[in-house]
Amino acid sequence: MALLASTSKLASGARPVAASRRTAVRVQATSRVDRYSKNDIIVSPSILSADFAKLGDEVRAIDQAGCEWVHIDVMDGRFVPNITIGPLIVEALRPVTDKVLDCHLMIVEPELRVADFAKAGADIISVHAEQSSTIHLHRVVNQVRTRAAAAARALARAQSQSQTQSGYRIKDLGVKAGVVLNPGTPLSTIEYVLDQVDLVLIMSVNPGFGGQSFIESQVAKIRELKKLCLEKGVNPWIEVDGGVTPANAWKVIDAGANALVAGSAVFKAPSYRDAINGIKASKKPVAAAVA
Amino acid sequence: MASVTESLAANGNGACAAAAPLDALPAGRDRPAALISPSILSADFATLADECKRIVDLGADWLHIDVMDGHFVPNLTLGAPVVACLRKHSKAFFDCHLMVSDPAAWVQDFAKAGADMFTFHLEAVADVADLSASSAHPAVADLAKAVRAAGMQAGVALKPSTPAELVFPYIEAGLLDLVLVLTVNPGFGGQKFMEDAVSKCAPLRAKFPGLHIEVDGGVGPSTIDAVAAAGANVIVAGSAVFGAERPGEVIATLRSSVERAAAVGAVQ
Repeated sequence: MALLASTSKLASGARPVAASRRTAVRVQATSRVDRYSKNDIIVSPSILSADFAKLGDEVRAIDQAGCEWVHIDVMDGRFVPNITIGPLIVEALRPVTDKVLDCHLMIVEPELRVADFAKAGADIISVHAEQSSTIHLHRVVNQVRTRAAAAARALARAQSQSQTQSGYRIKDLGVKAGVVLNPGTPLSTIEYVLDQVDLVLIMSVNPGFGGQSFIESQVAKIRELKKLCLEKGVNPWIEVDGGVTPANAWKVIDAGANALVAGSAVFKAPSYRDAINGIKASKKPVAAAVA
Repeated sequence: MASVTESLAANGNGACAAAAPLDALPAGRDRPAALISPSILSADFATLADECKRIVDLGADWLHIDVMDGHFVPNLTLGAPVVACLRKHSKAFFDCHLMVSDPAAWVQDFAKAGADMFTFHLEAVADVADLSASSAHPAVADLAKAVRAAGMQAGVALKPSTPAELVFPYIEAGLLDLVLVLTVNPGFGGQKFMEDAVSKCAPLRAKFPGLHIEVDGGVGPSTIDAVAAAGANVIVAGSAVFGAERPGEVIATLRSSVERAAAVGAVQ
């Protein structure tokens, strides 16, 4: 279907007219996330470190600089001591890029917001494993898939009224479900949702603010997670967020992470392209002793 | 912008502009100047800096920034980091409305981010049942003082069901620069303008001529006359401005309606 036509026109820089902004979201027949291989290293720059007053320009810049995903840090001031952005930012960015919108919900009661993010055009919706976020983790993770899919189906139905049927089935509308662990949260917390999630995000800083330093203990957690996944016969994306730079990315890649979030390491760098490539090409320093 | 209400309160009489402080109301008008404060929630969030410049160039006086935490209201919008980024691109007056559960927790963040007005909800600070029209609740008073101590102006917002009288004690004590009267229930989109809520402006305007009285919720060219007649001088409009083909004309329409009412309603 010619669903991508309008998104590529908008991604080329044309400013969407305010009135048609809400109809510019195009539901994909297949998931954007499934375009990428888990054998590749994904870089997902976090807009938390970007200029919020020029988000369209910033996202276009990282898109053109070669990132695969765009990481969106949603904070509600209750789960973490900061309030950042909500679904309306995702909605505003959807027409700007065809890359994956990778949303991390640091909020309480994420089940109340899942449909909003799906409708806004999120490709990945990740919720926290800790009980202060939700006490019904298994249910919420499945809600991301089913309710998000339902919301997207409804949207697609509304949009397809003016399009001819091509015969494809809206089976998988491509919204992936992720689960997130704070630095102090053990892997055992997610043992029984590992077979339900498309992605696991390991926080290597305490969430709430950008520009913090990488917590080294999380490398072992990543390694353990990779081992656990192999034992269970599951293969979710293993994402890391917090203090990741070209200098230390190799540690988490070596441990099994294949999606790397980087905020200040990209957006505060003089060249977004060099920062993104630097993270992907990160190598253990030759002379360094292995810790 | 020195507060006229402080001078009025110092006279021990908030009802009439008898004294002559620096910015006393000029003769022939019953309220401060009209101020148009479009809500950035209706702007394109991919180009916030450009949107804000565009709307200020078209005549907006303030920029209304709706902060929602997904708990006090069932919607999550934006926080201080967005305000801080916008501050670098705009010199406009940032009129921040905090629909959050614990407004005191955000005073420093918003001050650092460059907010000019910090308007918090009465209902978020104390149970409405514990509030009275005759005495100030310490939590509300303390927060208003903390806002000013942090270098911002202090406003209090009222949900449609909260009576206007409950803010009188704080205005009389000279603690507030603005009262925000909501004419829809906050957090939900596309609601209808509530006429009975806008009437709350009248007792406020009668008692405090120098007070900034702001109205937000479904305000546009079709509802502005009722808002102006009720006594408001600060006008928030979202889709009516940002969604308009000619926002400059809408802003001018809103302004002239308030100015007409200000002249007509003046106490002789």
